[in-house]
Amino acid sequence: MLEPLDSTAWGPEMAAHLINRAGFGGSPRDIAALHRLGLKGAVDALLGADEDSDLFPPPEGLVPRDLAELKKRTAAASPEEKKKFQAQMARENRETMAELRLWWLSRMRWSPFAAREKATLFWHGHWATSIEKVKEPFAMWQQNETLRAFSLGRFEEMARAMSRDPAMMRYLDLTQSKAGKPNENFARELMELFTLGEGHYTEEDIQQSARAFTGYRINPKSQQFLFASRQADSGPKSFFGLEGHFSGDDIIGLLCAHPQCARFLAGKLWVYYAGTPPSAGLLEALAAEYRRSQLDTGAFLRTVFQSREFFSPDVVRRQIKGPVQWLVQLTRQMEIPLPRDADGVLRNLGQVPFAPPNVKGWDGGRSWISSATLLERYNAAGAILARLPADLPTLADPGGTCSGLVWRLFQSQLPADLNNKFLTYAAAHGPTARRDLAHLMMSTPDYQIT
Amino acid sequence: MNKTLHTRRQFLRTSMLGGAVSWTIPAFLERTFFSLDALAADATLATGKDAPILVVLQLAGGNDGLNTLVPFADDAYFRARPSLAIKAPLKISDAVGLHPKLTGLRGMYDDGHLAIVQGVGYPNPNRSHFRSTEIWQTASDANKTESHGWIGRYFDACCQGADPAVGVSIGSQTPQAFAAAEPRGISFAKPEQFRFAAEKTSDPAAADEFFRSVNEANDGGSIDMLQGPASGGGDTMDFLRRTALDAQMSSDKVLAITRKSRAPVTYPPGNLASSLNLIARLIGGAMPTRVYYASLGGFDTHSNQAGSHERLMGELDAALMAFTADLKAQGNFERVALMTFSEFGRRVAENGSGGTDHGAAAPLFVLGGAVRPGLYGKAPSLQNIHDGDLIHNVDFRSVYASLLANWLQVPVEPILHRPFPTIGII
Repeated sequence: MLEPLDSTAWGPEMAAHLINRAGFGGSPRDIAALHRLGLKGAVDALLGADEDSDLFPPPEGLVPRDLAELKKRTAAASPEEKKKFQAQMARENRETMAELRLWWLSRMRWSPFAAREKATLFWHGHWATSIEKVKEPFAMWQQNETLRAFSLGRFEEMARAMSRDPAMMRYLDLTQSKAGKPNENFARELMELFTLGEGHYTEEDIQQSARAFTGYRINPKSQQFLFASRQADSGPKSFFGLEGHFSGDDIIGLLCAHPQCARFLAGKLWVYYAGTPPSAGLLEALAAEYRRSQLDTGAFLRTVFQSREFFSPDVVRRQIKGPVQWLVQLTRQMEIPLPRDADGVLRNLGQVPFAPPNVKGWDGGRSWISSATLLERYNAAGAILARLPADLPTLADPGGTCSGLVWRLFQSQLPADLNNKFLTYAAAHGPTARRDLAHLMMSTPDYQIT
Repeated sequence: MNKTLHTRRQFLRTSMLGGAVSWTIPAFLERTFFSLDALAADATLATGKDAPILVVLQLAGGNDGLNTLVPFADDAYFRARPSLAIKAPLKISDAVGLHPKLTGLRGMYDDGHLAIVQGVGYPNPNRSHFRSTEIWQTASDANKTESHGWIGRYFDACCQGADPAVGVSIGSQTPQAFAAAEPRGISFAKPEQFRFAAEKTSDPAAADEFFRSVNEANDGGSIDMLQGPASGGGDTMDFLRRTALDAQMSSDKVLAITRKSRAPVTYPPGNLASSLNLIARLIGGAMPTRVYYASLGGFDTHSNQAGSHERLMGELDAALMAFTADLKAQGNFERVALMTFSEFGRRVAENGSGGTDHGAAAPLFVLGGAVRPGLYGKAPSLQNIHDGDLIHNVDFRSVYASLLANWLQVPVEPILHRPFPTIGII
């Protein structure tokens, strides 16, 4: 059992921890407002996501391409025309994807429901799918909306939706899988990465369940899911020692009912939000909680965010920020818009949304930091700040003093020697160098954690 | 640079000797100062100018071994791959030949600089990319997990006190092979960006100095934090501070080398070629690096494999040829051995999508001036297969053992935990 946090322990540093982890951080004012709500009120406010899509209209040009038409056109073209045409498509895709990325980052930056965006980012890393293979921006956007819709909802429904998701189907070759020649890619990752984790199934389970996910196709005109029953293998299959004419949905049902599924997902969610692997005992408590909530992620997180474990010293200010977290948190803390080159910054830092390195998603944790990316972070922070006015309001008000900046950027006490160095620098350089001071504060190992 | 180093060193010394922490300097820092001293005294002293260098090249995604080294004399190959079989490989023996795009490697084979090890794998092969990559990177058994990488264990066992740049990975991520009890090795993608850009501030000199002071372990407070076991499971802040220190120490050196040196040969386009170009410049610039790491991705050819695999083979071959020519022109070819690896090969039979699924055993290449050329290991049988996959004849750790014992010349057992038979590749 997770232990509920004693509500008298609630303080501003805990409110900061909650907003940093459940969402993407905030300004001192945001933190103070959250603190006033009390723990339960704060968690309710963060997780109470509502409709906000009217605030974030998707980029233009996100319309389904008619794939049948496209095929016809390329088939009729001469080799040179074909090449030119493909180059043009690649260019269009690059542009649309850059806009789509900025669109999602803006949602993370400005949405009143940042916790939902944070959860969507988790699921994007979980059901990792990349434009590099999918090559259809429209499908990537659709998948993003599907992930958002289920991000704080029931996992089983999400899994069924993902098995029919055109981007996922392309990414893991489901569209090529048919009776007699099943492609195992999706079935394998469904068990290894999406539901159970390695070691809880056999090669036979993969081969059998791959047959259940046959006949999944995409309507070339609308780019929506289509079930081609003639391509589907409706024959009997044996799975987990059971015999039956299992469909893909049946397989997902069996996987979600497996006790390992709740354990696997609860552990992964904990690592994402708490930043450190759970002990064996805590993992069982988390798994029990996720099972109890019937794999309802929002309900599960509501309990986690109010637990004593989530606010333990092993968790608070012990997580290395991922690049997206680093960037969005920086802009929320500083109350500035996203930089125009956000896309390029994230590429250099090693996390490009809609283009995870592989189906396992981003490894996270220490893998974010190398000698290369650490220096990149320092320099990216410098470049972002250099484009701001030196008299930025967030630097000018009393919160712009050295200790005000420390609270804004770290929300905790720094080691005394480091803090003294900042004080000395601030005293020597005066108020005009506060932007530099913010840059130098961000150019420390301490700024890389939250 | 020397002046800065000198000042910093003096500052470090005085603040340490003057403070209460003088006897608690962690060993790695002490060694760091020693190597800074050596560097300042003579740039080549600490570099081990004649020491052998290993370059590890990962072909990520699972390279199709059967279409890389083609068993063209076996009808079973053509039966299993009606659309993907390579009909005219570059003959190496009566049984096997290289992919037609590997013309450069074929030439190296004749010149006596290429060893091909056939049927490399491990018992109970795992067909997951991640798990199998992890097994190769950590040199573990398939049923065990190991947190440190095989190169990391080499650093731990044999490179105590070495410069952090003893391992260099090209790319922004550190490969798992480098994970170590006392992490060493740096990584970067673009050398010109591998430095702190203080010029964006209003007082660059002050900002730079300040930056150096907060990112170095240069006073009691920071050193305290760096104490204790620096294991991979150690404190997150320890890890970050150490990385910051390594980055700062290496960036001056890397910049100095890459700024002044130019490649004497023209490299083809592509990421692999630029990575190898960079490695060649660092080798030529006498970096103290013993192991370089680079990778080329895109080998997960589940569908429409023919075109993409051919392109990859062409990119690999062209990049390796430029790299080889570069090293020869530098006179460093004899000092360098390059090993390729991929997490697995592909299934023997092609799938219904014009591609191949995850398989098991596959060949790998070792090339360099000191390599003993030839075809090693036995080609896996296409008749006696297991669950659609080739059975390995050579454990990949035998290849590692051969490189460790006969190239890097270090004891194998502390690194691989038990003996593996070596192969005469080098």
